[in-house]
Order: sequence, then structure tokens, then C-alpha cells
Amino acid sequence: MLTRISGGEIVDPANRRAGKGDLWIEDGRIVEAPQGGVADRAIDATGCIVMAGAIDIHSHIGGGNVNTARLLLPEQHAAHLQRPAATPLSNAGWSTFETGCLYAKMGFTTVVEPAMSPGAALHTHLELADTPIIDKATLAILGNDDFLLSMIRDNASPAMVEDYVAWTVGATRALGVKVINAGAAAAFKEDVRTFSFDDVVPSYGVSSRRIVKTLQAAVNGLGIPHPLHVHCNNLGAAGAADTAAETMAAAEGVPLHLAHLQFYGYGTEGKRKFSSAAARLAELVNGTPEVTIDIGQVMFGQTVTISSDVLRQFSARGTASPKKTVIRDGDGNGGGVVPYRYRNDFYGSVQWAVGLELFLLITDPWRVFFTTDHPNGAPFTTYPALFALLMSRTAREEAAAALPKAALALSTLSSIEREYTFEEIAIMTRAAPAKLLGLSDRGHLGAGAVADVAIYRRDEDIAKMLGAAAFVFKDGDLVVKDGEITHYRWGKALRLNPSPDKAMVRRLEDYHQQRYGLSLDWFTFPDSAIAREEPFREVPCRS
Amino acid sequence: MAVAWIGNRETLVERAVAHAATLLGSSRCPVFSFDTDIHGTRAAIALAERVGAAYDHIEGAALARETALITDKGAMTIAPGEARRRGDMLVIVGDLPKEYDGFLADLANSVPDLSERNAREIFLVGTGRAMPSFLNGAKATRLAAGKTGLAATLAALRAQCAGRKVSAPVSKFDDFAAALAAAKFPVFLFSGLTSDTFALEMLQGLVADLNGKARASSLHLPASESGWGSALASTWMTGFAPRTGFARGFPEFDPWRFDIGRMILAGEADLHLRVSTGKPAPVPKGKTLPLIMLAKTLKPVAGAAVTFAIGEAGIDHDAIVYRVRTGTLNSVAVPAASALPSAAEIIRSIGGHVSPEAGWPC
Ligand SMILES: [Zn+2]
Repeated sequence: MLTRISGGEIVDPANRRAGKGDLWIEDGRIVEAPQGGVADRAIDATGCIVMAGAIDIHSHIGGGNVNTARLLLPEQHAAHLQRPAATPLSNAGWSTFETGCLYAKMGFTTVVEPAMSPGAALHTHLELADTPIIDKATLAILGNDDFLLSMIRDNASPAMVEDYVAWTVGATRALGVKVINAGAAAAFKEDVRTFSFDDVVPSYGVSSRRIVKTLQAAVNGLGIPHPLHVHCNNLGAAGAADTAAETMAAAEGVPLHLAHLQFYGYGTEGKRKFSSAAARLAELVNGTPEVTIDIGQVMFGQTVTISSDVLRQFSARGTASPKKTVIRDGDGNGGGVVPYRYRNDFYGSVQWAVGLELFLLITDPWRVFFTTDHPNGAPFTTYPALFALLMSRTAREEAAAALPKAALALSTLSSIEREYTFEEIAIMTRAAPAKLLGLSDRGHLGAGAVADVAIYRRDEDIAKMLGAAAFVFKDGDLVVKDGEITHYRWGKALRLNPSPDKAMVRRLEDYHQQRYGLSLDWFTFPDSAIAREEPFREVPCRS
Repeated sequence: MAVAWIGNRETLVERAVAHAATLLGSSRCPVFSFDTDIHGTRAAIALAERVGAAYDHIEGAALARETALITDKGAMTIAPGEARRRGDMLVIVGDLPKEYDGFLADLANSVPDLSERNAREIFLVGTGRAMPSFLNGAKATRLAAGKTGLAATLAALRAQCAGRKVSAPVSKFDDFAAALAAAKFPVFLFSGLTSDTFALEMLQGLVADLNGKARASSLHLPASESGWGSALASTWMTGFAPRTGFARGFPEFDPWRFDIGRMILAGEADLHLRVSTGKPAPVPKGKTLPLIMLAKTLKPVAGAAVTFAIGEAGIDHDAIVYRVRTGTLNSVAVPAASALPSAAEIIRSIGGHVSPEAGWPC
């Protein structure tokens, strides 16, 4: 089937294309305008902006900790009004089914779940397979697991560490590797209550820095396209900017991604010893080209924090609202679920301002990524409002007017004039994520790309415009029209597939037998377990 | 081999499917109860949405206590593998499912390799008179506060740990306190079989208190593996644990209202679809309802309007199941699948008949 999208304003920075023009889709791919081709389907995009489908690189949409949060908080997600039966189960509040639909309506077509516990990979992929329409991907968590820490302690060769990382990524069908407060979850099991970059996990004598450096080297050595994804130590603490700065400095020329930098953008100035250090961090990011970051913007309101940083979540138990939490010591990281309400008080306002400052002061839109760390800073449903804040200084001023002056006085936000352009939005949410994840088939509108296309009707009201797309295509299927789902389909999970080293598999088999009394089969699964047609799509490693 | 019956008469699966779909289509208030694997659960919930049914697990009461602990209070838990490798003090709290004796024997008689103590001390609270057989000779110390129940014993234990005086002190408390002081990582084992929800909450209070000064956690051993597996799938599919109903077209979670046993007894339900692939469980008493039965059976189930013979998950066909040994979902591959259809296959066929035009989510 041949589709012609005509009259729209194309914004495709990856191909340096901008301005009015047609876009052609044949079956699931974008194609060159065919000579004298007659479209089977014509889409009138007059008055619209046409972009590639958006890619979210960091959003907690499925897996053990996310599901625990759902279980903990039934009162927070009462179901919605009934929708047409063409979208089964998408009436359910905060279900996988709803997640896929809500993302699609905003023109997002690929979402990365960034915190998959390797032991719970099957559970995670089952949830993602029940998340309709969009493609998904996962990052496997390493860095608090006994196997890796023991290898580092025992000075295992870089090749052996690579074999372990490759096996983990392959067996769990991950697209990359994440390390979360490296070493802290292991140290917490030994009753350590605070943990910084040069602190050492007692039983292993291994520092957080060494874990990060080991994993960074392995990820780079294996040619995994996405750099090691780092959740730093001391998340949320006043003065955490120092930790983020130390971690950035440790990149040492090799790619490194720092997650939700907003949560580290805090200095210790002012009466409350809590201030914005965003300008300092932005300058460091600007001067460290091998570093990429995502924001983890805070937006006000009720949410729930879901993190595999079990030490941090344990420390935050007292802030829970409502007053109930789940804290789990896992095989590696474990995690914690702490419901939280961001108030527009002093602290909440500093956090809100820090995120926006980072967005606006980091100059290169190819290295800063659009996230709220869903749902940790805010649910992803706040994205339209956040786009509006980035694209309009007036919108920021209006929002800031309701916030405590004392909080904003400790931030540079009010002095920043920058407004994001559609071109920059397209880089930050399309072209750059595709590049960062190694997904050459998306994030742009060039011939050969998968036909993931988001079309927005121009509107003065940015939140309205970007919150409900006029049309969305996923793999060439028209899935959204006028902000409503028109077609249900199943996306895939994008994964790497490095071939496992046989000696490593034998070692892991022995390890699981000895330490858990179970064969390695208990921790692996065949694709058929997902019970969907071709649930995965392979992405190549760099050669 | 016969796999479907309408009443007592053997029939083609397609006809039985059509008949079941007709019964569901004309039902005003259908209820589902199941004991099945993840894909069976997913299919059942998808069908429940389509026909406006309420659903529950067959062991719904114990499961409801476990989910209520999370929804009302939260918990500190530990993965079973980590409990095995780190738990140098095990406290068995209340009754644990017999099915886990093998796992518990392994736990009681192995050594925590990540603990410098390399040994386990075992305590029992409210476990009945006899020493549990899984101890297999391993030494254990029983704790009790006079003749009080489990919740009161845990309350006394918590108070004494906090240095408060109690009217009925816990026997052997000094041993317990000494063990706690020496332990690097005490683990309290519990299950929803314990019929006192207050005891489960009190246990979590104790664990939280202990973490003020040192580490400790609890190991949740679900009353039913399939029940907890179904709770996980139900939660990602609808946002809610079982005892959820679709009467109004969207899922509503209400552990009292959608207690299937209660709905049948109260005469609210007018059709019962039951999926039982493991050991056959008796159908809840009450007004005799038209019954659609999916079970591993060679003959029609007495009184059922429709019976489907299905295979047992993980025995007759590959399955995804929750396993207490890993604390997560595992894939079970069978060497050779039997000819019996899975629960998911039959339910999916029924769903296709109920509204063939609509999309099917799984
Ligand atoms: Zn995150």
C-alpha cells in the first residue's frame, strides 16, 4: 500500500530536511516519491508539522518494580471512562495497554524501559509485549550483582567481563546496559547507609567508580551502540552535583550516559542548604562531548517513585505520600517504590527549575534527552505541558509566577531566554535518541526508515498540539487520528543479540547450581515464551 | 480422546466453544475463577473484559490477604535467591504452603555463602505444635507469647525488640535477641496462608523497626504460586490484582464486592466459568449456577453446562509460571506436549466467538 502525506511542513533534522513537502510511505517503510506514483491513501497534512515518531530513552513502563507500584496504589489509578471496544483493556488505568495507547496518541512510537533486572527479564518482556502499538526496548541492570562484583574483586580480564555482559544482554534481550548506584545495593545488604563514587562495597573491596569504569569499558568493547547508562550515587541529595561532576569527569573520553541529571542538580546554598547547581552541571555537560544526559524533569502533582536504587528508596521512606512503600533486596539491585507528591513548595520548585535550566543551558540538543524519568519526576502524560515550557518563555514565566520566590532566586531560570524550536524538539526526541541507541532505522524520515511518523496540527497551544497528534503511523499503519487510537497493533522489543561465549555459559551454569541450587534454565527463556508473533527485532552491535 | 462436552454429551470443541460463548453472551453477571498459568490468566482477563465478568483466583482468600498487605501497608521483602545466600537467621512466621517443603528444606539445610557467619539459626513463630518436617533435623527455636495467637506474639516480639515491657513476654526471647544481634541478615518467611492480616502487618512493622539499626527483610512465599503469578499478570493488564470486575466496561478493584465465592453465595452471579488445571478444587457452594468448566479431566464435570478438557500448564504444554524459588516468572518447557489444548487456547476461541470483530489483546 502506498500512502502520500501531502502539504505538511517536514521537520527532519537527521536528513537536513525542513519545509513544506510530501512524504511517501510504502507498506512499513518511508520511500522516495515514486515517479508518477498514485497513492492508495492520501493524508492531507496542510497546516501540520510532520516529524518522525518520537523515541523516549528512559521511561519506567514495565517490569517487576513498576508492577509492584501498580499493586501498591490501586487508589491512585481508578479506571477511566469507557472507550470503544476496538482497544481492548486500554480502559484500564495504568495498565500496559493504556501505556501503549497514551504514548501513541502523543506521537511516540518507541519507548525504552531503562531498568530491567536480568532475573526478571521474562516478566519485563511479557509486560512490554502487552504494551500495544509502540516498539519497546530495555536496558539490563548490572553492577550490584555478586557475579560481576566478584569478577572485579578477583581482577578478571576485560574479555571475561565482556563475556558476562554479552551473555546478560543476549539472554535478557536487552538493547543496552544500565548501572544504578553502582555497588550501593550490594553495600546496603551489608548495612551501609550512604554510598558515594569512591566508596567501597565492603565484602568485595570494589569502589563504585571501579564498577562504572569496568562496565563502561565492557559496553564500549562489545560495540553496544548505547553508551553505559549511569544512574549516579547520591540521587536527590543536596550537594549531589558534586557526585554527578565526578562521574562525568570519569567518562575520560569514552561515551557515558547520565540518567535523570535533574535529580543531581542540587547545591547546598541558601538558608535551607538546597539550591540549583544546574548552571554548573550544564557547563560541565557542554564541555564534555563524550557525555550525554537525560533530564528527569519534575512536574508538580502526585506520582510514585520507582527505582532500583534500593538504598535511596529506603532512605526516602519517610517522604512517602500516601504512607506506604515497598523495599526489596533483589538478586542484584532490587528496588523500592515510594509514592510521592511534588508540591510547588521551596524544594519542589527548586527541582522544577533545575530540570528546566538543564534543558535550556545545555546547548547541544543532540546530547540532552527529553525525559521525566516516568514516573519518578512526573508521569509521561505531562510531556505536552513540558514541551510548552521548553518552547515558550512566557509559559515558563506564567508557571514560575505561582512558585516561591526564594526557590527561584537560587536558580538562573528567570534569566534564560531560550525557546526550543521544532527543529530542536525533533533532534532531542527523534534524531538524537535514534543515534544514541543505535537505531538507524528510525528517528528520521529518510527513504528506508520504518514508517513511524507523527503529524501535529499547528496550534498556538503547544501542549494541545503535541499532546494529541493529528495522525500517527507506526510501521506504516495509521494508528492515531485526531488524537484517538484508530488501529490496534503489536510492536516489538528491540534487542541486541551478541553470541554467548561457551565457557562463560558453563561458568554461569556452575555458579547458579552452586549458589542458588538451580540450573541456569530457570533464568532464561525462549522467544516463544512471549506468545506473540516475532516479539523481538534485532539491532546490530557496532562492528 | 474427547476434549469437550455439552452437558454429558461429547461434542466437537468448536460446538462447545460456541455454546460457552452463547451462555456468556446472555449472562448478566458472569464470574470467573481460575488456577492457571500466565497465558491462561491473560486470556481469561481479556475474556472477562469482553463479557463484563468479575474474576478471582481459586485460592482467592489467601491471595487477597497477600495483595491487601501491599495495598494497605507495603512491605520490605527479599528475593528468594538472596535469602538463600545471605539469610543467616531464618524466622518462620505462621503456616507455609506444604508445596514449598522442598525449597524450605534446601534453605534450612544449606549455608548462606554471602554471609561471613556461614550458618543459619532458625526460629519458629506460630507454626503449630510439631516441628515442621522440612527442617529435616535442623535445629529450630520456637517463640510464643503464652497462649496468644500469631499477631499477639509478633506484637510482643516487636515491643520487646524495642525495649518495651509486655504483659505476656515471648518465650526464649533472649535467644532471639542474641541471634538478632549476631545475625548479618535475618529473614522472616511468611505466606498469605496465615489467615490473620493483622499478623502480616505486624510482621512488616517488626521488620521496619529492625531496619532502623541493622538489616533484615521478609521473604514472601505466596499461598499459591499460580495465584501470585495471576496477580502479577492481572496487575499489569488492568492495574489491579484479582477480585476485579468489568461490570461497567472498565476494571474496578474491590476485594469484597468481587469475591467470587461471596457473589455466588449471595446470588449475584448467574454464570460461572472455572479454569482449574492443577489439583481439582471444589466449586464454591451456593445457588447452582450454569458452569463452564475447563479442567484436566477425562469425563464431563458433573453438573457443568460445558466442559473442556485442558492440559496442565508446565506438564502438558510449555508454560510461564511464577516460581517461589526465583520469586519471579519462569518459562517451563515440556519435552513433549500432550494433545490436550491449553486453557489459553480454549479461552481465546471462546473470546473469538463472543465478539469476532473486536481486537483481542493476547
Ligand atoms: Zn529512571
